[in-house]
Amino acid sequence: MVSQKVTVKNEAGLHARPASALVKIASRFESEFYIKMYGYKVNGKSILGVMTLAAESGAEMELILDGPDEEQALKELVKLFENKFDLNSG
Amino acid sequence: MKKNQPTILSGKPAAAGIGIGSSWILEKESQSVKPVKIQKDEVQEHLKKFKVAKEVVSREYEKLKLLPDDYNALEIIDAQLQTLNDPEVAKGIKAKISENNYAVDYAIFSTFNEYIQVLEKSDVTWANDRTIDIVAIRDELVQATRKNKTELTVKEGQIVFASEIPPTVMVELSHTQIAGIVMEKGGLTSHAVILSQSLGIPCVINVNWKSSKLKNGNNAIIDGSTGQVILTPSWKQTQEYKKRKEEEVARLRRGLKWAKEPNKTACGTEFTLRANVEFLEELPRLKTHGAQGVGLLRTETLLFEVHEFDVEDQVNFYSEVIQKAQGESVTIRLFDAGGDKLLDQNEQEANPFLGWRGIRMLLDKKNLFKKQLEAIYRVSGKFKGQVKILIPMVSVLEEILEVKAICEIIKKSLSKRDIAFDENLQIGVMVEVPSIAIMADQIARHVDFFSIGTNDLTQYTLAVDRGNEKISSLFNSLHPAVWKLIKMSKDAADQEGIPVAVCGEMASKPEAAACLLGMGITELSMNTSSLPVVKSVLCTHNHEEMKILSEGVLSAECAETVHKLLEEWRAV
Repeated sequence: MVSQKVTVKNEAGLHARPASALVKIASRFESEFYIKMYGYKVNGKSILGVMTLAAESGAEMELILDGPDEEQALKELVKLFENKFDLNSG
Repeated sequence: MKKNQPTILSGKPAAAGIGIGSSWILEKESQSVKPVKIQKDEVQEHLKKFKVAKEVVSREYEKLKLLPDDYNALEIIDAQLQTLNDPEVAKGIKAKISENNYAVDYAIFSTFNEYIQVLEKSDVTWANDRTIDIVAIRDELVQATRKNKTELTVKEGQIVFASEIPPTVMVELSHTQIAGIVMEKGGLTSHAVILSQSLGIPCVINVNWKSSKLKNGNNAIIDGSTGQVILTPSWKQTQEYKKRKEEEVARLRRGLKWAKEPNKTACGTEFTLRANVEFLEELPRLKTHGAQGVGLLRTETLLFEVHEFDVEDQVNFYSEVIQKAQGESVTIRLFDAGGDKLLDQNEQEANPFLGWRGIRMLLDKKNLFKKQLEAIYRVSGKFKGQVKILIPMVSVLEEILEVKAICEIIKKSLSKRDIAFDENLQIGVMVEVPSIAIMADQIARHVDFFSIGTNDLTQYTLAVDRGNEKISSLFNSLHPAVWKLIKMSKDAADQEGIPVAVCGEMASKPEAAACLLGMGITELSMNTSSLPVVKSVLCTHNHEEMKILSEGVLSAECAETVHKLLEEWRAV
């Protein structure tokens, strides 16, 4: 199991489109993916789960990955937060 | 146990024929979802229903992906698909079914509602827009679980009792050989009625069958010619109707003999009769019922039935139809979706019949449109001179010009790829909006033929919604106003030397067909079941009598007079 703290950097927050991008990337990996925020823990491959976090810009959360490709998955997901959820950049 | 007493109900005859069989009730999809509990042994069945519903709705969305032209819509659809395949939602629904023993529709409904409530409580601004999308998915899934239940159980030889039958359900029903259809609502020109006519399924509408205590599997008799419906008939009644059905079959067989005779009036004036076709199942009737090819090939069913309306699927469908036409022509009407055939239940318009339909929609959905045109042009290469294109719902000249420009693009692209097509493929226009009939002299210069759709022309000329029962008495395609527009179109076409056909239901009434022939319209297209009777009437009368009839009809002051004229003519 690996985990890392990240911050929502884009202005609009983790709204529908970023949530969709996040789930899309996460679903490519076999590892289980959970997001922890204010004591809530949701399945990161569940778009409705991610959306109900209603995370706004500046919100901090912990990405937790568990499975055979956890390292690679964590790297990609952290990068997505860094790129403000733009699937096309970097 | 006391035996059921026969109950006689009467309604409006919609499609001729006698049907004898057991009843099957099409349950209306109720909007409310109740926390219904199921038995332990039903759990597997409900889990399976959820799985199937998910597949059905996913397919619908995948299908939508082919429609939009812009990237934003694709993103939304992708998000909807992610919602559908959300693992946590699936987990929640499955737990509600297998642990709490709730019925599948309530399990879906309540699971989605939990997420919707959380989103509604959060004060982020984007949440509201998203809940609308989630509600849509929830309702589509619930609907899909119910549709499946009704789709599976109807058996061959049963009589379907319904409140009304939506076009998509009618398509499903057409795959089973049902004995008849009884509807509580619906107009004579609703999609379901037209289909039952063309498939020869007896149909009666406006029957208040719900007031009786009808149950699934009760015996019933339907007489589509008189509008009578008998529930739990006596032995005697059943015998009587069986005899009448035999006579009917014999009469049809006699009528079918005309199918082989040449298409000439008693005095030798030639005419052409073609078939209106929608399903491959109807094609064997072209030969037996005496149709010279297909005057109107409806293509909307492809949109409902084929999950991906790609070029290849369409090429196969069109080719199969043309092969069965045995050298005669096939007029392909471009996708005429919209109105009562709405593609997407969520895209309801305030005035669908005056809205985004026919060519109006196609010109906005260029991907879809180009695919259909490419398929048609490719087929035309294999069957040169046999394929024609018919543009539906045209109201202004610009639409015709734009279609022709897109056809040129398709032709160029095919040439580049060395794919054969018919250089002289004819393009015609549906005359169904009064503006086109009024401007017919100008329009005729830009098209190869006219095809008059009398149902819509009536609806738009008389300002009557043809699905609205309250004003159905006003919907009268025999009104002199409609005849005058037909005459105007015919005269304008003659000026430019282009042919005119009538492909509306008007042509399927023998006297009206005679009147059209009297006006010089020698090409008629109708549902195959009407062909033998129409043909026998046309073959046994003189053209001169028909001319006199048409002159009378064109100078009539109201529809009532036209009815009288036609009835008198029939009596002679």
